Amino acid sequence: MIEALFNQPNYLAAKKTLDAVVLRQEAIANNIANLETPGYKRVDLATSFESELERACASGNSEELKSLNPSLAVDSTATAGSLDGNTVHLQNELMEMSQNAVANSFETQLVSGMLQRMQMAITGKD
Amino acid sequence: MIQTLIGVQNTAAALSAEQTRLDVISENIANANTTHGLDGKPYQRQVVVFESALQQAMTADGGLQMPALQVARIEKDDSPPIKIYDPGNPDADPSGMVSMPNININEEMADMISASRTYEANLAVVKNARTMAMEALSIGKH
Repeated sequence: MIEALFNQPNYLAAKKTLDAVVLRQEAIANNIANLETPGYKRVDLATSFESELERACASGNSEELKSLNPSLAVDSTATAGSLDGNTVHLQNELMEMSQNAVANSFETQLVSGMLQRMQMAITGKD
Repeated sequence: MIQTLIGVQNTAAALSAEQTRLDVISENIANANTTHGLDGKPYQRQVVVFESALQQAMTADGGLQMPALQVARIEKDDSPPIKIYDPGNPDADPSGMVSMPNININEEMADMISASRTYEANLAVVKNARTMAMEALSIGKH
């Protein structure tokens, strides 16, 4: 019965987005680590995740949201910035990382807020 | 093991690779005027060759294995020594020419800046991972 509390589509979507943000940080960390590796191709979150999340949110189906799984893929749109075929651009990665950090703050606060409101509803106090 | 800092293993590998690169650059600069090495020849410039090694078990069921950076080998730059005219030098040949190491200080300085920038970028990643981990720990707190 208690699971019902944590099965609201909004809460699940926030959780999945948080997963994606964390995975994205991993991808960016790797891209920056391989800044000077010849032939390295940058990785990023698979583009399919966003559309799948959007579809699942629109349907409001908790099961569909739960089965979502963010994954990483080689970014095929990135162009090589140097002769060695490496597709990582430091400035882009740092910008993506900052954006990701903000997204992470937002998602953690969102989840925190949801949990706090739930607690408030249960205990009746702030 | 639980991974609290996301993806920092590869960052750590990159940090140590850049450190090696900086070490090699400082060795090059230190020996910019070494005309007589242990083998009796002028010092030869060294270059670091990077490669990515597949690091297995990169957690996160991302289904993609992430390559970590590592130093493959340190090679000698085979370009010919720079000849300068200095008849007073003990290493000068009969015509007064001295073979100096094939080191261009400007090139080394540019490499050094590039290596330290990359190092800083990787440090920024660690900082960011830490902030994210702290934020994740604060979920549910007031």
